[in-house]
Amino acid sequence: MKPFARKGTTYVATFAPDEAQLLQQLCLQVAELISAHADYTNDAAVNRLLPDAYRDDDEAAAEFRRFTADDLAARKAANARVIAAAVSEVAAGRVPAKVVVGAAEAQAWIRSLTDIRLSIAARLGIETDDAPLPWGEPLVDAYQWLGFVQESLVRVLR
Amino acid sequence: MPDILEETEIHEDLDLLLGEPWVTIVWNDPVNLMSYVAYVFRSYFGFSKAEAERRMLLVHTEGRAVVATGTREEMERHVEAMHDFGLWATLQKAGR
Repeated sequence: MKPFARKGTTYVATFAPDEAQLLQQLCLQVAELISAHADYTNDAAVNRLLPDAYRDDDEAAAEFRRFTADDLAARKAANARVIAAAVSEVAAGRVPAKVVVGAAEAQAWIRSLTDIRLSIAARLGIETDDAPLPWGEPLVDAYQWLGFVQESLVRVLR
Repeated sequence: MPDILEETEIHEDLDLLLGEPWVTIVWNDPVNLMSYVAYVFRSYFGFSKAEAERRMLLVHTEGRAVVATGTREEMERHVEAMHDFGLWATLQKAGR
């Protein structure tokens, strides 16, 4: 991957086909996970994507969830699909190629890259700042790489 | 003749003055990048770069930072926006 750079009003990065495929898969998985978000109590990843808005008031937290969770989940799924669509051509290709991201799309990218990383971290049980990453586990490399992709975009965002 | 709009605004002010204010708190998590959290604070709340950095570092070192104060409804909107960004945010009455 060649990190994001600003080009006029757009952001451009180069992805290898296998990187684009990984990104696409993870996005579609998160979109699916969040679309079936009813299970937030038992699923750490869903719970982190749609956390309680009140810490010490279960009733208010449930009420907030009732009014916001469906829309939040729909927006998160839509954000994930923005990335999946943007990289689909590269994913289907044979050589590394540029992905051009518009300003509005970039907002979907940073949010969804966050959601994917939060989901992976929940699955890996990453709970504290100084916890060593469980190297060797599947997805740890992807988790690190997604952080790199996100950082490179955030750095050039206006 | 009373100006309804003006009266409504006064009521809202009174509400804020007499009712207890609420705060939006962002909590530390091991996933979100420091640069991203600072970006969110800057772009969403309109903080200066320095102020956004300061609050981001508060989250990082103290485990939490207050990022907004106002009515409960306003804070609920902010919390929802933070959840959109994937930041771990809650609201509560100020001074608790």
